[in-house]
Amino acid sequence: MRGAATGRLQLGLSYAFLVTLLVIVLFPFYWMLITSFKTEEQMRSLVSMFWPSPFVLENYAQLLRKTEFVSWYGNSVVVAVSSTFLATAIGTIGAYALARLRFLGRGFMASATLITYLVPPAILFIPLYAQIKNMGLANSLAGLIAAYPSFTVPFVTWLLMGYFESIPEELEEAAMIDGATRFGAFYRVVLPLAAPGVLAAALYAFTQAWNEFLYALVFITDGRLRTLPVGLASFITGDVYGWGYLMSGAVLTTVPVIAAYIYLQRYMVEGLTAGSVKG
Amino acid sequence: MAVPAARADRVVVAGRGRRAGLARWLGPDYRLGLLFVSPIVASVLALVAYPFCYAVYLSMTHKLVGMPPIFVGLENYVRLAEDGFFHRAVYNSFLFTFSSVFFKLLLGMAMALVLMTRIRWRAFWTGVLLIPWVAPTVVSALNFLWIYDGSLGVLNYLLVRVLGILPQGVGWLSEPGTAMASVIAVNVWRGFPFFGISFLAGMKAIPAELYEAAAVDGATTVQRFRHVTLPGLKNIVIIVVLLSTIWTFNDFGIVYILTKGGPGGATMVMPVLTYETAFGAQRLGEAIAVALYLLPALALTIVVLARYMRKGRKR
Repeated sequence: MRGAATGRLQLGLSYAFLVTLLVIVLFPFYWMLITSFKTEEQMRSLVSMFWPSPFVLENYAQLLRKTEFVSWYGNSVVVAVSSTFLATAIGTIGAYALARLRFLGRGFMASATLITYLVPPAILFIPLYAQIKNMGLANSLAGLIAAYPSFTVPFVTWLLMGYFESIPEELEEAAMIDGATRFGAFYRVVLPLAAPGVLAAALYAFTQAWNEFLYALVFITDGRLRTLPVGLASFITGDVYGWGYLMSGAVLTTVPVIAAYIYLQRYMVEGLTAGSVKG
Repeated sequence: MAVPAARADRVVVAGRGRRAGLARWLGPDYRLGLLFVSPIVASVLALVAYPFCYAVYLSMTHKLVGMPPIFVGLENYVRLAEDGFFHRAVYNSFLFTFSSVFFKLLLGMAMALVLMTRIRWRAFWTGVLLIPWVAPTVVSALNFLWIYDGSLGVLNYLLVRVLGILPQGVGWLSEPGTAMASVIAVNVWRGFPFFGISFLAGMKAIPAELYEAAAVDGATTVQRFRHVTLPGLKNIVIIVVLLSTIWTFNDFGIVYILTKGGPGGATMVMPVLTYETAFGAQRLGEAIAVALYLLPALALTIVVLARYMRKGRKR
């Protein structure tokens, strides 16, 4: 009897704790969303705090008409999509080689990739900026596309190495006994099996590039060439913030990432735990 | 069908004969292996190794933006060692990092333990709780900037008008006494789900028999946590804590957006100081010296962490 009672109490406390966490986790997003539909007058007068009244789309209209938000959106899409393709392609073949193929320097390369993944951007951004500038790519989207593999490639590679290692080697051996080349075994047997992992890795690469702030802040000086995070942050340099259109911009910036995450949550949660801490 | 196959075999054998020497030295898969790895090698060399070496060199120069560097040896480091503002940034960085990691560890552990109980919709809870980790950091920082706002922010509204805990609103980010704690809270909010999800994965990997055996021996819940869960999670805890320590120490976006290091340096951490020295004061050499000052500690952390991460994979 007592066991059942403590069990029920424990379960009740668990739910209470989860609901509290849920509120803490979601409230900032809820606040962002309702702010984006409020008028400046309502915000100033502190009435009906938790629901827009009146409910207006004015902030969005102003954001799209009066700021360079649309250009920033385009820039972010270009940069994030290109670096995702680049990182996923380089990372996938590299991870396969490091996980499976036997060649001189493999262990060293695997360690080097992992260490690179751990080197923080905060110590690389100045020399990288100097380098990008020397290549004539400062203040261009190409400069960001060139620099982002510094963090996306090691991450994708490390994540996928774990994935490839979890695929039984016998499958490739069987394919090769049947006459497939090493490349054929990779392309036709391993790659399709690793597709969920590649998808998760690509999504994370996209998210990282989409969210990146420091390089984009430093490399880009032209207002029109900003990416979304830098563009949004630029709204707060003035004294009057205009929370309404800032929050509407924040909503539109968050939507693609959260939509992809909700849609492909299973792969991403699995990928995260496989990539960082397996075992 | 049989004839071409046989011929293909012979070609392969002949080829192998010629390449056997190289293959012995470079490994049986060296051609595809080197081909597949070369883009990574190129990007790591060009985007990490070379900039890193260049950073070490620049930190030993006087470099103004747009001017050639002048070599000055360790002067930047020596000067920083005597600079009170830099000392404060180092202290703040450690305070920010260790407090954040500590609370992320606590919350993450609680989250994982709760998700291990027999609750319903576990996938739903897990999925929702991970959202701060996937959402753009800049967006989250801006959301909190708005929540913390001294006059119109919802936090003050809740504490003063709804709950009546405070007599009047607090300038969370503009007062030295609360700024650091407010910034830490945002970092914890964003980072704890990663701890939780990693610990959850680790707990699921602990064999159920261990818990059953402990239950048979009459172990209490606390004892089971202490003697079964924690030892089973040891490696993951070490990995996640070290990983998060590196990330938190080098977190730029949250602090930069919320306070830019203010008020009066109360939240000035090393990455923000690096940025301000480089692009505010335009002293690149000194800025990189700030970034590299704790390099020995960072390098040691990275090496230890990389070991654990590789070991974790091999099991």
